[in-house]
Amino acid sequence: MSEQTSSPDRPQAPQFSVATRSALVGKDGRTGTRGQSCRLPTGGLIERARSHSFTFDGRSYAGHPGDTLASALLANGVHLVGRSFKYHRPRGILTAGPEEPNALVELREGARREPNTRATTAELYNGLIARSQNRWPSLRFDLMAINSLLAPILSAGFYYKTFMWPSAFWEKVYEPLIRRAAGLGRAAGKADPDTYEKAHLHCDVLVIGGGAAGLMAALAAGRTGLRVVLTEQDFRLGGRLIADNRVLDDRRSVDWVAHMAGELAGLPNVRMLLRSTVFGVYDHGTYAALERVSDHIAVPPQYEPRQRLWHIHARRCVLAAGAIERPLVFGDNDRPGVMLAGAVRAYLNRYAVAPGRHAVVFSTSDETAATVADLARAGVGIAAVIDPRASVPHGIEAAARAAGARLIGGGVIIRALGRARVRAVEIRTATGAIERIACDLVCVCGGWTPSIHLASHLGGRPAWSDRLAAFLPAALPGGMAAAGAANGQLALADALAAGAEAGLEAAAQCGASGQPVAVPATDGESTFNAALWRVRAARGKAFVDLQNDVTDEDVALAGHEGFRAGEHLKRYTTLGMATDQGKTSNVTGLALMAEFTAKPIAQTGSTTFRPPYTPVAIGALAGGHRGKEFRPTRLAPSHNWACERGARFVEAGQWLRAQFYPQPGETDWLTSVKREVRTVRSRVGLCDVSTLGKIDVQGADAVEFFDRVYSASWKALPIGKARYGLMLREDGMVLDDGTVARLTAERYVVTTTTANAAKVLQHMEFCAQWLWPELDVQLASVTDAWAQFALAGPCARHLLHKVVDGQHDVSDAAFPYLAAGQVTVMGGLPARLFRISFSGELAYEIAAPAGYGEALWRHMMESGREFGVEPYGTEALGIMRIEKGHVAGNEINGHTTAADLGLGRMLSGAKDFVGRVMAQRPGLMAADRPRLVGLKPVDRQDCLRAGAHFIRAGAKPTGREDEGYMTSAAFSPTLDHWVGLGLLVHGPERHGEQVRAYDPVRGGDVAVEVCHPVFYDPTGERLRG
Amino acid sequence: MRIDCCYCGPRGHEEFVYLGDATVERPNGDPDQPLDEAARQRWVDYVYLRDNPAGAHRELWQHVSGCRAWLVVTRNSLTHAVLQVEAARDVALGRGLHQKPTPAL
Amino acid sequence: MAELDHPFRSALAGAVTAGGQYGRRSACPGVVVSEIHAPGLAMVAARKGRRGDLIAAVRAGFGVDLPTTPRRATGQEIAFVWVGPDQWLALQHPAPKDGMEGLLAPLAGLASLVEVSHGRTLFALTGSRVREALAKGVPIDLHASAFGPGDAASTLVAHIPVNLWQVDDRPSYEFAIARSLAQSFWQWLTVAAAEYGVQFADG
Repeated sequence: MSEQTSSPDRPQAPQFSVATRSALVGKDGRTGTRGQSCRLPTGGLIERARSHSFTFDGRSYAGHPGDTLASALLANGVHLVGRSFKYHRPRGILTAGPEEPNALVELREGARREPNTRATTAELYNGLIARSQNRWPSLRFDLMAINSLLAPILSAGFYYKTFMWPSAFWEKVYEPLIRRAAGLGRAAGKADPDTYEKAHLHCDVLVIGGGAAGLMAALAAGRTGLRVVLTEQDFRLGGRLIADNRVLDDRRSVDWVAHMAGELAGLPNVRMLLRSTVFGVYDHGTYAALERVSDHIAVPPQYEPRQRLWHIHARRCVLAAGAIERPLVFGDNDRPGVMLAGAVRAYLNRYAVAPGRHAVVFSTSDETAATVADLARAGVGIAAVIDPRASVPHGIEAAARAAGARLIGGGVIIRALGRARVRAVEIRTATGAIERIACDLVCVCGGWTPSIHLASHLGGRPAWSDRLAAFLPAALPGGMAAAGAANGQLALADALAAGAEAGLEAAAQCGASGQPVAVPATDGESTFNAALWRVRAARGKAFVDLQNDVTDEDVALAGHEGFRAGEHLKRYTTLGMATDQGKTSNVTGLALMAEFTAKPIAQTGSTTFRPPYTPVAIGALAGGHRGKEFRPTRLAPSHNWACERGARFVEAGQWLRAQFYPQPGETDWLTSVKREVRTVRSRVGLCDVSTLGKIDVQGADAVEFFDRVYSASWKALPIGKARYGLMLREDGMVLDDGTVARLTAERYVVTTTTANAAKVLQHMEFCAQWLWPELDVQLASVTDAWAQFALAGPCARHLLHKVVDGQHDVSDAAFPYLAAGQVTVMGGLPARLFRISFSGELAYEIAAPAGYGEALWRHMMESGREFGVEPYGTEALGIMRIEKGHVAGNEINGHTTAADLGLGRMLSGAKDFVGRVMAQRPGLMAADRPRLVGLKPVDRQDCLRAGAHFIRAGAKPTGREDEGYMTSAAFSPTLDHWVGLGLLVHGPERHGEQVRAYDPVRGGDVAVEVCHPVFYDPTGERLRG
Repeated sequence: MRIDCCYCGPRGHEEFVYLGDATVERPNGDPDQPLDEAARQRWVDYVYLRDNPAGAHRELWQHVSGCRAWLVVTRNSLTHAVLQVEAARDVALGRGLHQKPTPAL
Repeated sequence: MAELDHPFRSALAGAVTAGGQYGRRSACPGVVVSEIHAPGLAMVAARKGRRGDLIAAVRAGFGVDLPTTPRRATGQEIAFVWVGPDQWLALQHPAPKDGMEGLLAPLAGLASLVEVSHGRTLFALTGSRVREALAKGVPIDLHASAFGPGDAASTLVAHIPVNLWQVDDRPSYEFAIARSLAQSFWQWLTVAAAEYGVQFADG
């Protein structure tokens, strides 16, 4: 900006406001600028008429709407805001944006406390509470600063070198120690009281960034009538245009931005999202953006979220994310008061804050002229302008002269002095003389790094530009173009033109045409930068990455020890890690590595960037899906009744099922469950089995289809009959079991287990659509359409007679075991009846349209009262199936064959079916595979546990001796002792043998007797009764 | 990632389930066919062995939370570009290997 | 379904109050929801090789051209929503006396017919802010330029499978949700639309 013209209404050089700091803020919050000793008397995009009071480390201050926490702290003369990660060095505010590495604070209190919040983006609100972090006991006096003395062992790779052994020390000693000493903020440790939500947004053109290029792009695309979304991470549009004093078409840049914002707001097809950061780019035009809906107020309004996660689907995208200024590397360059020059201009112009009274400018960029002009206009004294170039450009010379500042060409700062605040710099002049210059502000600029992060989220590598000494986007994600500073077009005129062109081009690619947008004329500038990656022979620690306390020596060490590639450098030194991901340090780190290894930067390579661009709270990613709403809940037809009855529920997949129904006086679940089992075994019980998957299968080839997906043959299944079936995976393992009932000639209803309902339907659709598309078969899930209730027990038929309408004969002769049919119940309600049993008792399953399910259930409970009917839940169901030796999910676990489960007879040898061939592999046929057995404790008082492993009696309990394991175990109220099912090597041949059920994890070691898996009614008389 | 379902249009990957290679062909499992070494090998290939090409790959996906159609998606495994989406049923019928076992209705 | 003394129970019973307001109180709630009570619903799937015959039979019998893309086509009383290749959801409200399978019986042999009247809960949604509320869960583009009256889609909303279609350009939409998930959908909807205010109108 060597030829910057004066602003049309440049403020008069103000008298520096040196108001005494008032410790207390007026109760009404109306303090004006009182106490804000560094607030300029005029200017800035702040609302001076109103004040916000806030506290930092317990002390009260005042700021204005329009401030960030950082600008308000600086307005109050507060520079020391934190301690560094490793050495606990005092740190101040470096930047004025999301790239901030130092000024991380804990924001808010209690459950809303949020660590590692960047003070530079936290919008000030009345009552804001912030604390510094990573210091103890206080920010000014931090005992952990002793780490600085340990610096020799805390160098790059110190984790790997220092804490190598003994390994047991890692968990107990080293890690807790390191975590306490080095770290960032503390999480709240309480449930977040706020809500977060997700939303979808579709558009033709997404413009990321509301600076010069982004505004032009949005206007160009917006005027074509396409749907345009413009996102800006700040709470104000404008980017550098509101941080710098520029002139566009005779308008001040802030006014030009306001004009543009007005025009965009007038386009109904353009949507502007402020406070919204696009943090991730995903395949096929998908972008994730975080909108900070309520972060700028103390508590979100009722019904509104704290943050909103946008899934944006865009056909085209213009990346206009701007650029990030680079610090310079010299001794103790981390002292509070050392700030980026562009940030200083932002504080001066946008926030009307003077971050110091005596400044030194140290810069390699021609933009120094603007910095000097802005400082001078604000009345900040300029002690020196230091430019490493021997021949300083004329513009800088002129600016320095105008400001009455001393210009030191060919000089460098070798060290900053001061601890909690810089108080002087040591410089080395062109002649090699060392000199000390007093100051309280050092404005540094090492050039700009285009914000290319989003351009490489899909893996595209950036390309090095020697001209700009920066990486530029290359191999962009499909549909994305970069414009403006993000694309290396650092000069305002170039950025405006590039934005306008990119917006129009994106629209054209969406098939829309429009007139080019007139690009405003701008004041002249030079953005040339003479890269200086570090000051040689500096004194003190010269930081490259401030957030991770990585110095130039650490980079050199990494290079020396062979960790030279960008990714290795990052992991060895931690350069570029943590919350800022090296936004101000990556390029410098790579450049230094290139220097130390005598290679061009292009060959050192860049690390690639991954989402998120800036930190995103887990709560925002979860959205509404937490607690009870973590996933949807499916409710069974009897749910309401079960609630009334005080049932305890259990989650079975998405379903909420009644686990047991405690009665008054029953205090433990086992008492209730025992009673439920005894009710079924002695009278009659009711269980809601609507959760089983139900699939309607129709078509001329339905039987052929079943023959191919089930292991047995179905050709002989008559109308009105059901049969148990087994489905294998193609690799020969069992997939699921269930029943098939034939209702009419070409209509069947299939049941699956609750757990596998979705998987089985997908598998059957795969078979029907892909394997055998020639078959005439149609599948429809009817799980939700039918309420299905099991009524089981010796009195089941008596109850059935009272439910099924009289014209249907449901006697044992007319409706025997495995009968299936269509009936009416309760006076004309169409229903389906199946005589199938999971409990081993005489049992039926009756299905009715789901909307009448509750009525049917209540009717049955009422009608069954005379038989002593009781509901039973999943616990009783599980116990009874173990008593009957029925396999379930614990046994059908993906590792078992039909033969393992004692179901080998269900494999037809006469037809092809899924899994037939692979089930015959020798390994799956081997005689010594663990196979299904029953188990009972030798001492009948002993308790059994699923998961215990079987060891031959007398053998050592080692892995070699492992002969299988207990898959299911339950206390049998019928037998009055524990029973189990398990898979045991040669199991079926070992009935009567005693083995150990060994459970070292839970300290179990029980002698068990191997037996037949069917403990109860092995001949099945009861279910046929 | 988005897949342009040939019936429903472009949808997010969360609506789909992935099965895998669409180029493998289920061997004849008829029990009358001898299960010789070659046949065994065909089955092992079908169930277990998969190519992992860098580039265009034909894959089976189901639009399970949409139209429930199984799809053959041709996808570039390097770039994730979805090159073609076809209905699996149509592709399967096009293979011409399917003979109806019973007369159609 | 036959008329019965026994009460039909909506999947939302107990979870909603007719005329109830949810979220922000407003004289003019941004989202108005109602349940379409006890509709007749059936899955219609063309038998192998009979799509053409089925389309002709539906045109002849019901005066509806079966859509072959994700659309809803309406006749005098009945509507058919494309839900998958060669598959439609047939709707009629109020439900026919002999059930949907009875009504559609003339299509037997050309299509598999599956009564699912009780399997879905139908929500009707409208209101000045309905699109904004739906954007918090519906991943597809419901903008007027992309989705209009007669358009239909099957998708996921907050992990809940839905069939939805637009009825008119007020805009009004109808959502068919598996009965067991109806309360979860309602829960999502009341949270998503809370800031605009939700009125549960008596359907």
